[in-house]
Amino acid sequence: MHLIETIGLTKKFNGTVAVKGINLSIREGICTALLGPNGAGKTTTLNMLTGLMNPTEGSIDFHEDYSGDRRKYLGYLPQYPKFFGWMSGLEYVVFAAELAGLSKEAAKSRAKEMLELVGLAEGGNKKVSGFSGGMKQRLGIAQALVHEPKLIILDEPVSALDPIGRREVLELMKQLKTRTSILFSTHVLHDAEEVSDDIFIMKKGEIVVEGSLVKLQNTYQQPTFFIETEMEMANWLETIKQKEWLRHVKVDKNKATLTVENLQTARTELLSDKTLQELKLIKFEVAKTSLEDLFMKVMK
Amino acid sequence: MRSQWIILFKKEFRESIRNFKWLWIPTVFVLLGLMQPITSYYIADILEQFGGLPEGTVMELPPPSGAEVLTGTLGQFSQIGFLVLVLAFMGTVVTEKNQGTLIMVLVKPVSYVNYLTAKWVHLLILSLTSFVLGFVMSVYYTFLLIDTIPISQVVNGALVYALWITFVMTIVLCLSALLNSTAFVAFATLGTAILFSIFSLYAPDLMKGTPGMLATYSQQFFYLGEVESGFWISIFVTLGLILAMMIATIFLFNKKEFAKDVQ
Repeated sequence: MHLIETIGLTKKFNGTVAVKGINLSIREGICTALLGPNGAGKTTTLNMLTGLMNPTEGSIDFHEDYSGDRRKYLGYLPQYPKFFGWMSGLEYVVFAAELAGLSKEAAKSRAKEMLELVGLAEGGNKKVSGFSGGMKQRLGIAQALVHEPKLIILDEPVSALDPIGRREVLELMKQLKTRTSILFSTHVLHDAEEVSDDIFIMKKGEIVVEGSLVKLQNTYQQPTFFIETEMEMANWLETIKQKEWLRHVKVDKNKATLTVENLQTARTELLSDKTLQELKLIKFEVAKTSLEDLFMKVMK
Repeated sequence: MRSQWIILFKKEFRESIRNFKWLWIPTVFVLLGLMQPITSYYIADILEQFGGLPEGTVMELPPPSGAEVLTGTLGQFSQIGFLVLVLAFMGTVVTEKNQGTLIMVLVKPVSYVNYLTAKWVHLLILSLTSFVLGFVMSVYYTFLLIDTIPISQVVNGALVYALWITFVMTIVLCLSALLNSTAFVAFATLGTAILFSIFSLYAPDLMKGTPGMLATYSQQFFYLGEVESGFWISIFVTLGLILAMMIATIFLFNKKEFAKDVQ
């Protein structure tokens, strides 16, 4: 049984369809990314999961062990979290915890623990109105986590942050994976690759690719060689064009990128190639293409 | 979930303390309450000193009655007092909705009934406390400087007027929950209150049995100690309307979608 399953989830706004009958299944205990360009319907989907929007069609089923109001088991961080500026960080998290049903004492100790976890132990007594963007994001995560939800939903958690804030939040998300399930949306493939286990790629309201990160990588990533020589390679490349392990070549004077089928064979053959050796090798690097290619292909 | 209601109520209360609403709104009412009897008492002297009357004019102003002064006080409350209350609370839900703090609250397992009634009760406590403080001041100085009237008449009149305040404040809350602009909330609330007052002034027969007559009934208590027929109908109709507005608002609020499309 999955933590959340949606069947044919659809949302229309005045005739335009924002989300078109998507089927999502979120596994428990892992981190799932909802990836897609702006306007793909990610936020709308998340809003329907949290109950802040009602689906036009389709159903959302939560795990049968967690019955009743779905909100009890969810923590949510909107893309632009807004807090009561007159509260201090600690007061806000305590307030959030009490709303979720924790007793006064439990709320206080959990709130302190969460602020510690997100690295705001020092700033807890400051007014939220004086928080920086990164601090607000972390406070948002603390308030989402405070009632120990089964799933936290983060909408573009790193998009609005500077590189340092971004790094902090990504590291934090890696830590959180041990505590709870995470579902987050992003338009940056790299972030999804870094922290998630499952990926759903959305485009124009539909899911176009889905699967575990490992499976996607195995399916879509290919071993690649970056070769650099002192002399021009064009002629040599002609000679290997017919090899069956070669998939794709990109050449720029004395730099070449070779995408290959089979890493072992390709490496053995390339390294024993006399002509290549005569071109005076400067660089010979084995790598894997990122999912970027897949992402770009899907998004076209 | 009674405890959740308390938490939401405490949040409202703390917010109003931190932004000084609990200080300046009662202050406005106390000042309004003081001014009416004091200016009535000194009006002759004030005119003499500052009125620019020709030398030797003899001032013979009949002293106002106690009922007149108290009625005047309620008149001040109905104008400046209401303006202050409505402006202070027009954004109570709208602002949270527009700023996005509302979704952070409603994404927790919060009952919409608790959310709205906590705001409602806080709003009523603050406005009625301000009214009582201001009115007590007015009564004290009226008794001291002008005239006394039976205390039971004063209390009855005040209670009826408190219901009128409750009615107007309920409109503020309901419109704030349902509309999307603070300006429109203020405009619609004050507009409704003014229409009710104007109609009950010029067409009292038409307005019989409506909330609009409540202010008139409280004046009748001050002047005569008794009210004309139709009083109890007004009371029950007002109570019924307050209840109906709250139920309808909670119902419509439940159906609303709070997440805004940012795309």
